[in-house]
Parts: sequence; C-alpha cells; structure tokens
Amino acid sequence: MTEMNAPSQPTIVELIKVSKHYPPDVTALADVSLTVETGEMFFLIGKSGAGKTTLLKLICNMETPSNGLIEVAGQNIHGLKGKKLARLRQKIGVAYQDFKLLTDRTVAENIAISMEVSYKKPPVISKRVKDLLAQLELSDKHDAITGELSRGEQQRVTLARAVANSPTLILVDEPTGNLDSSTTEKVMNLLNKCNSSGATIIIATHDDSLYRHTDHRIMELCRGKIRRVNGGVQV
Amino acid sequence: MNFWFAVLRQMGRNLRQTWASQLMTLLTVSLSVLIFAFFYLIYTNMLNAGDKLGDDLRLIIYLEDEPGPEMKEQLRRKITDFDQVQDIKFISKAEAHDRFAKQLGQNKDVLEDMPADFLPASVEVVPLKTLRNLNRVKLFSEYLSKLPGTLKVQYGQEWVERFFYFTRLLSIVVILSGSLLILTTVFMVAYTIRLTIMGRQAELELLRLVGATNDYIRTPFMLEGLMQGLFGSTFGLVSLFALYQWIKIRFSGPGILNLFNFTFFAPQTLVLIIIASILLCTVGSYMSMQKFLRI
Repeated sequence: MTEMNAPSQPTIVELIKVSKHYPPDVTALADVSLTVETGEMFFLIGKSGAGKTTLLKLICNMETPSNGLIEVAGQNIHGLKGKKLARLRQKIGVAYQDFKLLTDRTVAENIAISMEVSYKKPPVISKRVKDLLAQLELSDKHDAITGELSRGEQQRVTLARAVANSPTLILVDEPTGNLDSSTTEKVMNLLNKCNSSGATIIIATHDDSLYRHTDHRIMELCRGKIRRVNGGVQV
Repeated sequence: MNFWFAVLRQMGRNLRQTWASQLMTLLTVSLSVLIFAFFYLIYTNMLNAGDKLGDDLRLIIYLEDEPGPEMKEQLRRKITDFDQVQDIKFISKAEAHDRFAKQLGQNKDVLEDMPADFLPASVEVVPLKTLRNLNRVKLFSEYLSKLPGTLKVQYGQEWVERFFYFTRLLSIVVILSGSLLILTTVFMVAYTIRLTIMGRQAELELLRLVGATNDYIRTPFMLEGLMQGLFGSTFGLVSLFALYQWIKIRFSGPGILNLFNFTFFAPQTLVLIIIASILLCTVGSYMSMQKFLRI
C-alpha cells in the first residue's frame, strides 16, 4: 500500500484505507489512501480495469466504499444526506466516461442543468453556456440535439457541463478518449484555466500525452492498488 | 433564478414531454369526479327532499271512541312517554267529517246520507324533526298502535319506507363512487407519475449527481399531481353543471325535479370537492416519488 504525505495546504479529498469489492469476488480497489490538496491538478493513471473510474465514483458518492473513509471538503461524503449532500455535489463537477448526457435535449440544456440546480439566473446561465461552447469549439452546436452529436462532441459537452457551475472539485474520467490532438489541447486548456481559477482537478486517464510532461502529481493504479506516485512521497 | 422559477420550468418540461399520458390522467380524474359528483348531487337532493318529507311526517292514531278530557290527557302523557313530540292534535269525529267534506269539495253531497260521526276520532302526532330514522318511526308507530283504544296508526308507511330505502341505496352508491374516485384518482395519478419517472430515470439520476435537492426533484411532480386534481375536478364539475342545466331545461315544467326542488351544489361543496381531488392527486404523486426515488 502506498500513502501520501500529509498536506501542507487544506485538503479537499482524503481517502483512508478505502476498498471497494463487487460481488461475487471482484476487488476494484484495495486499501487505497490518498490526499488531494485544494487547487491541485492530480492525474490518476492506469490500464483499463485498474480502478480509476471506481475511485472517481467513490469520491463523488456515486458508489459507496466497502471499507474505509472518504472525506471531501472535510466532510464524510458517504455520511451526508439530503440538502447537505446536494450542496456538496453542487461543488463537484464530474465528466463521466459514459457522458450521462440527456440525448433528447439540446447541448445548451445539457450544460445548463448543473447551473439550474444551483438556481443561477437565466442570463448568467446563457452567457456561461456560450462561453464554454466557444472555448470547446462547439458554438455552432448550441441548439443541436445532443444525441445527434459525434462521440468527441458529446465528450466535450460532458466536460462543459462538469465545469459550468464553477465547482471547487472537478473529476474527469478519460477526457480525451475520443478527441484528436488539437481538440485535446483545447480541453486541457479549459481544465488548466479552471485549475488556475482555484479548482481542484482529478483526471483519470490512460492517455500519456496528457501527463507526460506535467509537473503535477500522478498516481498509477494497478488492479485496485496504488502502484507508484510521482510528485509525492512513496511509502 | 429562484426555487419556484426552476421548479415551474421543470414542470413545464415534464408536461411537454408526457402530455399524452397527462391528458389521459386528466380525463380519468374528470370522469371519476363526474361520476362521484353526479351521485352525490342526487343524494344531497334526496336528503333535502327527505327533510321536506320529514317536515310533513305525521302519525295518525285512529281511536275506537271519542276521547274525553281525561282520556286525552292520558293519551298525551303516554305519547310523550315514548319521545318528545312537536305537536299533538286531537280530531273529533265531527272535525274529521268536516275535513273530509272540505277535501271532497264539490262532491261533498255524497256525505249527505252519511251520519256525521261515521269517521273515527283520531290523534295527529307531529314528531320532532330529529326523528328521521325509519326504524325509530316504525317503533314509535308500533308503540302508538298498542295504546289502549287505538284502532290503527298510519303515517304513509309504504311511501315513507320506499323513500328511506331509496335514500339508503343512494348513500351506498355515493360511498362506492366516492371510493372509486379515491382509488382511481390516487392510482391513475401515481401510475402516470411512475411512468414519467421511469421514462426519465436517467435525467433524475443526473439531477441528483449534479446536486439537485430532493425538493427540486420532487416538487415538479407534486405540482403536476396538484394540477391534475385542480383541472380534473374543475372539468368534471363543469361537465356535471352542464348536464344539470341540460336536464333542467329538458325536463322543465311540472315534473319530479320541480317536486323535489332539485338544486346544484353550493359553492362551498364545489370548493370542498376540488380541494379533496387536489389532495388525492398530490398524495398519488407523492407516493410514486417516495417509492421510486428513495431520495
């Protein structure tokens, strides 16, 4: 098991000996401990089936851990219910690997949904949607039905929705899986911009072009266990 | 953007996407309200007619002989021993003859050859208005018939009994149609909302993941139920009023409606039916939400 240093900055995500088992005998994660500091960009890498997506799902409370403790912004996210959980989720933007888009709605409606639940004003929502679409080169798709877009376009819409509400924590699962190098750069630019504005970003990817020359911390998962960590201290 | 604006917009989307099933539910609610209100309207009018009938209810005790002052006092005491009454009136043989002659009008000549005392003396008992129960009236009648010197007791038994049985039958129909209204409304609304929820499972799941509160997800569905109740019941009652007007015009003139002074619901009753429908529909949608979302 690998553990990371106690953070000098306030932590936003803390996992202590977290395991996740699926019946009958699949271990997706085993005794993973991890600390992510506020404002950090953190890469989670590993082959398919390494446990990256499971880890992100546990952090955003889409799934519950079999063992261990997960704290987000100082709160045990799996102990929260109702309004408290909803408020915390509003601060977490997630770009899912399977997109989770409403395919019968327009692109603008899909992006707006994360701001609507926070009761943002319609003009603010409209402006933010247009800005994000421009940054991701999707301005012409504003009123397009999401189900009619290509995989790459849908991936960018998912990302736009994840960052739209200016969350403090952004979880991104394979953000560039369906994108060419030019669009990948635009996506990374958007994520870097969010990070510069103070958002903590955790990116799960197996695309080494994203983290090859990065100064940010990288954690590699292999069969549910931490294999190595760059930029931190290995124990 | 505030909570209610967001909720109303969400509700608008729901209605746009599921308008066909919403319309079917609306029609079912309307029909249920119409059926219930129809029987309830007849029932309330029959009750009013029963009240009127009760006002005219008189028990007539025919006596063997003309009672003397002492006998009258004894009879009065015996009658009030059973129950308090509104009025007791003694009618002598001569008074009975005069009344009968009056009733015969121009044909009173037929009485010329008859002796003036051929009709028996009687006592007219007007029971209190609280004595509406048929069994009580029967018991009272049986009690009176056992009084000494009594020939017979009459109160229009057959007619009164038929009327009371008809009112009882109507009350059963009203209870059944009321139950039907409750079951249909709750289940239809719950079913529609359930269908909507199942059809939009992905969206509801996403709403939860992006941080929508329980109220944000639940309230549009509750409002849908509320609107089903409001518009469904209003439509049902308007249809009933149209039916009532048509019957009134179609059967105007001397008829059973005029005999009973048939009237429509008071505004308070209409409001109560609408409120009850709204509550039932809202409960229906709440049940669905609780069962399917578990939020």
